[in-house]
Amino acid sequence: MLSRSAQGIYWMGRYLERTECLCRLMQLQTEALVDRPARDIYVGWRRLYGVLRRIPPGGVLDFADSDDFTLADSYTLAGDLTFERSNPDSVWNCFAQGRENARHMRHCISAEMWQRVNLAYLRLRDMDIEDIWSLPEGFYAGLAAETDAFDGAAQATMYRDEGWSFLRLGGFIERAQFATGLLLQQLAIDEEGDGYAEEDWVGLLEASHALEVYNRRYGAAVHAHPALDLLVTDPLLPGSLGRTFTQISQEIARLGTGPGTDSGRAAQRLTGRMLSLLQNEWPDSREREGLLRRVLTEATNLHFMINEAYFDYPLNVYAE
Amino acid sequence: MNFDSYNLDAAIYDEMLLPDGSPREHSARLHETLLRLSPEELGSIQEGVARSFLHEGIFFTVYGDDEAQERIIPVDCVPRVLSAAEWGLLDRGLSQRLRALNRFVDDVYNGAYAVSDDVIPEDLVSGCPNYRPEMLGYSPPHGVWVAICGTDLLRTDDGFFVLEDNLRSPSGVSYMVATRNAVKAGLRRLYRSYRVREVEHYGSLLQQTLIELAPGGKPDPTIVLLTPGVYNAAFYEHMFLAHEIGAELVEGRDLLVRNGFVYMRTTSGLRRVDIIYRRVDDLFLDPFVFRPDSMLGVPGLLDACKRGNVTLVNAPGVGVADDKSVYPFVPDMIRYYLGEEPILGNVETYLCRRPAELEYTLDNLDKLVVKRVGESGGYGMLIGPHATPEERNEYAQQVRANPADFIAQPVLTFSRAPCLVDGQLEPRHVDLRPFVLQGRETRIVPGAFCRVALRRGSLVVNSSQGGGGKDVWVLEE
Repeated sequence: MLSRSAQGIYWMGRYLERTECLCRLMQLQTEALVDRPARDIYVGWRRLYGVLRRIPPGGVLDFADSDDFTLADSYTLAGDLTFERSNPDSVWNCFAQGRENARHMRHCISAEMWQRVNLAYLRLRDMDIEDIWSLPEGFYAGLAAETDAFDGAAQATMYRDEGWSFLRLGGFIERAQFATGLLLQQLAIDEEGDGYAEEDWVGLLEASHALEVYNRRYGAAVHAHPALDLLVTDPLLPGSLGRTFTQISQEIARLGTGPGTDSGRAAQRLTGRMLSLLQNEWPDSREREGLLRRVLTEATNLHFMINEAYFDYPLNVYAE
Repeated sequence: MNFDSYNLDAAIYDEMLLPDGSPREHSARLHETLLRLSPEELGSIQEGVARSFLHEGIFFTVYGDDEAQERIIPVDCVPRVLSAAEWGLLDRGLSQRLRALNRFVDDVYNGAYAVSDDVIPEDLVSGCPNYRPEMLGYSPPHGVWVAICGTDLLRTDDGFFVLEDNLRSPSGVSYMVATRNAVKAGLRRLYRSYRVREVEHYGSLLQQTLIELAPGGKPDPTIVLLTPGVYNAAFYEHMFLAHEIGAELVEGRDLLVRNGFVYMRTTSGLRRVDIIYRRVDDLFLDPFVFRPDSMLGVPGLLDACKRGNVTLVNAPGVGVADDKSVYPFVPDMIRYYLGEEPILGNVETYLCRRPAELEYTLDNLDKLVVKRVGESGGYGMLIGPHATPEERNEYAQQVRANPADFIAQPVLTFSRAPCLVDGQLEPRHVDLRPFVLQGRETRIVPGAFCRVALRRGSLVVNSSQGGGGKDVWVLEE
């Protein structure tokens, strides 16, 4: 497969995964506006801006224990994170970039995938925060469902060649980085306060489709430690770090080391180390924040290794 | 629908109706169907066609001051019908023309016998901006310089005429296929009963043609389509064609030349490329030979081509044969190279480089269409009868300053066809661009992209100038 095409598909996977992650969080955040205390809403925004490493409009997030301020701020912040064209990580930009990559690589994906993403884009392209503010959670749920439908179309129709692997690989790398960043944000918030707030972890579990599993396993009361364990290690939970790195490892094994063989081998070794870390070191570790930081750094390194192994490798390689 | 307010003009050939308002024989069933459909029903079919383009993402990109805009080409849902006999004539005429053009290009770069035999003036060839002396002595596989040609045709009461041969990067074939898919879905019963010849297999004919042009007849060659990139207005077409022929869609940065061979960068290493269907203009193909500042091309590509290690389709230098100044000589080329009379005629053309014809042009600016030889897409031309005296005077000064840059043609009252405009059927001028392929043999898909001058009274069909498209139904015998 042409390296540039593979790279385009990889990025399509990343952008659409990021769109979904953002939509899930924004859905929860805007649902919270209906009945949650101002403190919970403030934490939610802080988590979102923290994971995106973005400075909010106005420079800082102020905790105002007043409904009026909270709602007014939320409108501005939601607009910034959803439709702001100058914010590269806004929902709009992520989705538009995913769709743009799909348009460039349309000859490598199925017609069903293209139509899914294009139709959703056509509905989204002229919207603004005003258009969705009467029921914002419905908008985010709808867009997240569109990305799910895209995944479903890919699952059902995409030819299982290298393109398929790169699409998945992009999505998994994005998921690993986003989920790890989110957990780190929450741990930092917990440390600043008087211990953890149950509602924050409920939100995280919900955003990761893990609340029902948690409740089945641990009961209705949500505690930070078991929730963190579930989100990091559970091998059956689609969004857990353990499962995500297993899938990364499988896709890299399937692709082989690539023409940039040094980077390809390094990527294989690194995913092995990450799996070992999550399976063996994590359960006994008291330095969980440190381990998560390591995971985040190595997920970023993996991204660069993939780039050098398959897309941007040195040209002194054997020519067929 | 009815034709009550249809402005039928006996002086202008109508593709569907005879001068008395009755339908032409091969259009009768379409006419009958249109009469049966309500304006709402036809409107709904029209909407379906537009929606299909939107959903498929068949855009061309227009770049404004602020940001690029994706626009869909407006497609009219009423097809234009051609009888088997009409198509038969076009098929023979287009094949003949392409054979002659290929012989001409080969001659230009290998002996120039047509010049020494006074078939075409030497200065027209060597002075042509698309003449590439770098190609002298080159012999492409099977002598095919032009493998893909899109010929613009007009019809008048006197029959079909060739307006232009597009030999460099003819575009529009993807619209032909997309329009067919959308229109037949809207008029499915009529389509089924009409026995329309298919166009959807264009991709496989193109693939077959390209394979035949592999260097040294290499079996199972690797084909790529070279695009200038996503910002090119025709990017959709490049992507569509790459998909149809199972080729990688590459940009210059994906290719490199080593030891005279071309390779592309893949996820499994460098892979040799045998055939490049290039949609990049000559001057941007190879910075070692042409424009050194080109970022779209591949250094060393022309050398690889001339060594016979890769086939470029169409070959560099073919633009010498579709130059507007060379165009008037195509009928003579057919006689000279093939010993045949041209089946399809040319539009009468005055070369302003010739003093007598310049004088005639300047004296009759109000009756002529004057075009710059180096322009295309409807740009840089004067439609005399539609221009103001001031515009004509200004244009005349430009012609006088550099006569060799201009040609003139009479304003043809070319044919019109019914189009759905604001809920009514109205006549609009149409042209026809069929696509001809030349490998070991000539192949023509029975159909064309029919361009429509959608503005009332307009004679300009180019999409960049507000033109639209129409499906063309070629009927079986």
